[in-house]
Amino acid sequence: MQTVDHTKKGWSVKDVIFLAIIAIFFGIIYQVWSFAYYAIAATPLKPYANDLTLGVWIMAGPLAGVLLKKVGASVVGELLAAAVEMLLFSSWGASTLISGFIQGIGNELGFAATGYKNWGRLGLLLSAIGSTIITFVWDWFQSGYSEYHVGLLVSLFVIRFVSIGFFSGVLVYWIKKLVNRSGLIK
Amino acid sequence: MSSKRINPTILVIIMLGIGLQITFAHSVSTNIVVIFVTCLYLCYCKASGKLLILTSLYAFPLALGSWWSFIMFGTGDVWHTAWIYASRVYAYLYLGAIVTLTVSVKNILLSLSLHLKLSSTFVYGLLASFNLLGRIKHQYKTIRYSAMMRGTTYHFWNPSLYLRVIIVALNWSQDLAEAMTSQGFTEGAARTLTYKDNLPKWQWCLATFLILLYFVFSFLVRPW
Repeated sequence: MQTVDHTKKGWSVKDVIFLAIIAIFFGIIYQVWSFAYYAIAATPLKPYANDLTLGVWIMAGPLAGVLLKKVGASVVGELLAAAVEMLLFSSWGASTLISGFIQGIGNELGFAATGYKNWGRLGLLLSAIGSTIITFVWDWFQSGYSEYHVGLLVSLFVIRFVSIGFFSGVLVYWIKKLVNRSGLIK
Repeated sequence: MSSKRINPTILVIIMLGIGLQITFAHSVSTNIVVIFVTCLYLCYCKASGKLLILTSLYAFPLALGSWWSFIMFGTGDVWHTAWIYASRVYAYLYLGAIVTLTVSVKNILLSLSLHLKLSSTFVYGLLASFNLLGRIKHQYKTIRYSAMMRGTTYHFWNPSLYLRVIIVALNWSQDLAEAMTSQGFTEGAARTLTYKDNLPKWQWCLATFLILLYFVFSFLVRPW
């Protein structure tokens, strides 16, 4: 009996497994990467460590977006990555899931601004801008950015945008180009 | 599962309900109360002490970094701020631990599907992928070693690394989804369940009570 409807637009179990497997891979990559983060995070320069590395943590969202090209893919992709992260690897506990959701929303807004029509450069640029602003506002409350000097805040904002722009923008764009060239995903 | 424990769904609700509020609260005392209560519950559930100590040590650089950065770059009452954000790291950590260290991933997901109607596509999709954890770790090594054989080292900024990851994820998700379908899994269809999960009414009341109590204390009473 055929039980899979290939024409439907919603989430199939294959999409979920696909994103979850990618999320687990990300979890493994993050583990290696987090040593660098911890080295800086144990010093007063922690806010810099946060903002410098943020782009890497956020990648899963826009990558899910450009691969699946679905409404909500960025939020679900980032949320799945956060869930995997929390259940298997995290030392941030409860905040992982909440931050994952917020980061996903930021990326999603960028793609939504193009009416979910542009998954290329413009979509990724807007998604990077969206998540930079949304996550900064979030850290204003969560990580206490409201208590820092203005000078530090300005430099943090710029560093954050560069980090997100590179990892969640440029790198995701390169990956997408490679995937397109390989003809794996139509 | 022992009925004297809190249901996983309720734990997730408490975790998110209080976790979200912690973000906006400015109090060291409420953070410490959260840490104390969650640790009590962890002891009650006999959570792995070794794991708990390990994660606590792991989070220490984060707490220290937060604390120190406010002393250096903070404005206003830097000491108060520093202690708020240092204790917050641990409040978050143990709040997450009451879910992840006392219940298995499988029970969390099944409980959420039962009581919060989380779609079975997500629940079983996630479960299927978590079972692959060991193989995925192994595959990651294989990817890196096979690249080294060709004289390239994959760093996390190499797009080719992610292409390999995507290829594996595509193949495996296709195979797994087909295997699940051939075993009778139907997306969105009603399922018969052998999994039993008690959720007495008092636990819903407990979650509501704790979340409201936290709200009253951190936003109305506002202790130091």
